[in-house]
Amino acid sequence: MFDLIMRSMTQRKMRTVLTIFGIALGIFAVVVMGGMSEHLNLTMDKSLKLLANDIEVKPDGTFGGVGTLDESKIRQVKRVPGVKDAYGVLITALDPEDGGGFGSDMVFGVLPEKQMKDAKLTSGRYLIPGDGYNVVVGSSIARRFNIKVGDELELKSKSLQRSSSITNKRNVSVVGILEYTGSFFDSSVQTPLDMAQKFYKMENIISSIYAEPAFGTDPNDLVKRIDLSVEKVKSKSPEQLRKEAEGTLVIISLITISAAVLAAIIGGLSVMNTMLMSVSERTKEFGLLKALGAERKTILLMTMGEAALMGIIGGITGILAGAIVVYSLNGYLESMGSALFAITTRLVMIALLFALTLGIVCGTYPAYRATKLSPMEALRYE
Amino acid sequence: MSNKGNNGNNGNHAANGEPVLRIRNLTKTYMQGKIPVHALNDVSFDVNKGELLSIVGPSGSGKSTLLSMIGLLDMPTDGSVFIDDVEITKAKESEAPRIRREKIGFVFQHFNLLSTLNAMENLDIAMRFSGVPKKKRKERAFELLTQVGLGDRVTHKPSELSGGQQQRVAIARAMANEPAILLADEPTGAVDTKTREVIVELLKGLSEKGQTIIVVTHDMEVAKQTNRIITMRDGKIAGDEYRKGVTENE
Repeated sequence: MFDLIMRSMTQRKMRTVLTIFGIALGIFAVVVMGGMSEHLNLTMDKSLKLLANDIEVKPDGTFGGVGTLDESKIRQVKRVPGVKDAYGVLITALDPEDGGGFGSDMVFGVLPEKQMKDAKLTSGRYLIPGDGYNVVVGSSIARRFNIKVGDELELKSKSLQRSSSITNKRNVSVVGILEYTGSFFDSSVQTPLDMAQKFYKMENIISSIYAEPAFGTDPNDLVKRIDLSVEKVKSKSPEQLRKEAEGTLVIISLITISAAVLAAIIGGLSVMNTMLMSVSERTKEFGLLKALGAERKTILLMTMGEAALMGIIGGITGILAGAIVVYSLNGYLESMGSALFAITTRLVMIALLFALTLGIVCGTYPAYRATKLSPMEALRYE
Repeated sequence: MSNKGNNGNNGNHAANGEPVLRIRNLTKTYMQGKIPVHALNDVSFDVNKGELLSIVGPSGSGKSTLLSMIGLLDMPTDGSVFIDDVEITKAKESEAPRIRREKIGFVFQHFNLLSTLNAMENLDIAMRFSGVPKKKRKERAFELLTQVGLGDRVTHKPSELSGGQQQRVAIARAMANEPAILLADEPTGAVDTKTREVIVELLKGLSEKGQTIIVVTHDMEVAKQTNRIITMRDGKIAGDEYRKGVTENE
């Protein structure tokens, strides 16, 4: 059976190659687009995990971005019943001339004692209270700037208003390097909060507050209480943050995946077209096979097998091509700081299954047509 | 209409009086728009084992329709076909492939070899459908191709063979599963006169070895060399003639 399928495929080499190429292109799109969405998923997932259970308190009205709060708000948050502790974080872009945003390098001014230690160190140490101009950097930053513990990193700032050029520069020493987490920590620079406030000339200013709920306190209730008792802030529980992030991710995934699926479906249609053409070209052949006593299922298997095989070969080609492109793009992007794609086993399985299904589904109708041919009609066909 | 009574005395070939094929009141009516067309109208006859029978008649007389009913390629409107006492016209659609494999060997006007397969493989595929083991398929294919005089051409593709050679491969293929009946539809229709003789001689030789063969033809030169001629006209049998000493006929 397999030899007959191979024979039929190699008989029409050009067409087979073009069809496989069509599928491969579609699956390539699935892998690349899917890889992007998988990477976003993983990053978001890991980032949220590292954020633990703290409630995020941000100035009301900032949507997604970074706003500013007065440090006095920390005390107000602390006073809310059910809050065990609260601390502020100052977030700024490492390169002030690069707008910042998801995936870009950020400086986190943190209290050394509140430093998140879920991200392990590969070398050096965490920040300690009393650290001055010292920083702990994420893995991407370390790789990109080729930094080792003890090296210096240049921080730049510009005063927030009306300035277009760098107004201040300073070298800081790297005391620790974090291991790769796949989260935003990889492109983070952590430094003591007081130093960050001083350097960026943002004394008494923070970007957001993290509140630890007391044991037994429902974070969702606490969020409401904080918003009611502290003015001009908006708090979010870990659950809300997760939901928000997931909502965004779903939309991104939908856009990327549907573009990819569209490409793959076009590939599938080309399989269908090829198979229909092949079946009508081989009307006589199928009629003959029937006259020779071939069962319907044999003919069905031959045609569907051919379509499925083209699907699988196209799928594997697409996945390989996608993997090569993603791998080299990631290599390049990582040298620039952040990876953009992740090819997960799940993604490969989905892509392969998708290619196979596409082949089979699009081969079904042509195969059905082939089995329906009356041998008599088929043999008269000249 | 028929003169079955003469069976035993006719021809010099091995007609042993055992009907391998029985056709009873076979009728096929097509609807052409709203007008019924009687392609076959109440046709009955028997064919004995080892007979070399030709069916002749003008175009549209129903001879090809008859052949396709016997070959289970088409179903009659009424009547029955028995091969080896099995009523094949009662067979379910799912049983048709098995009956075709086991009982019928087809030879077509345009040879209908699979162009991608060589001579050997063309025989092999027919036996593969019947589940013959690989080693045996190879042996038999070689044996049959040698028998039709193509033992030195087994790996040739149809495109590398002449029309006559292709038809010989097709005949070998039809014989591959040792069918009860060999059905040949205009087997000499697409070959020249010289090749025609080769094909007819081959069929005669097979018949002498006991193979039942039915040839549909409009070539009287071919028909004259068979030991029985059934003439069809307007879907009916217009003549059924047993011939003596066919080889002596011009």
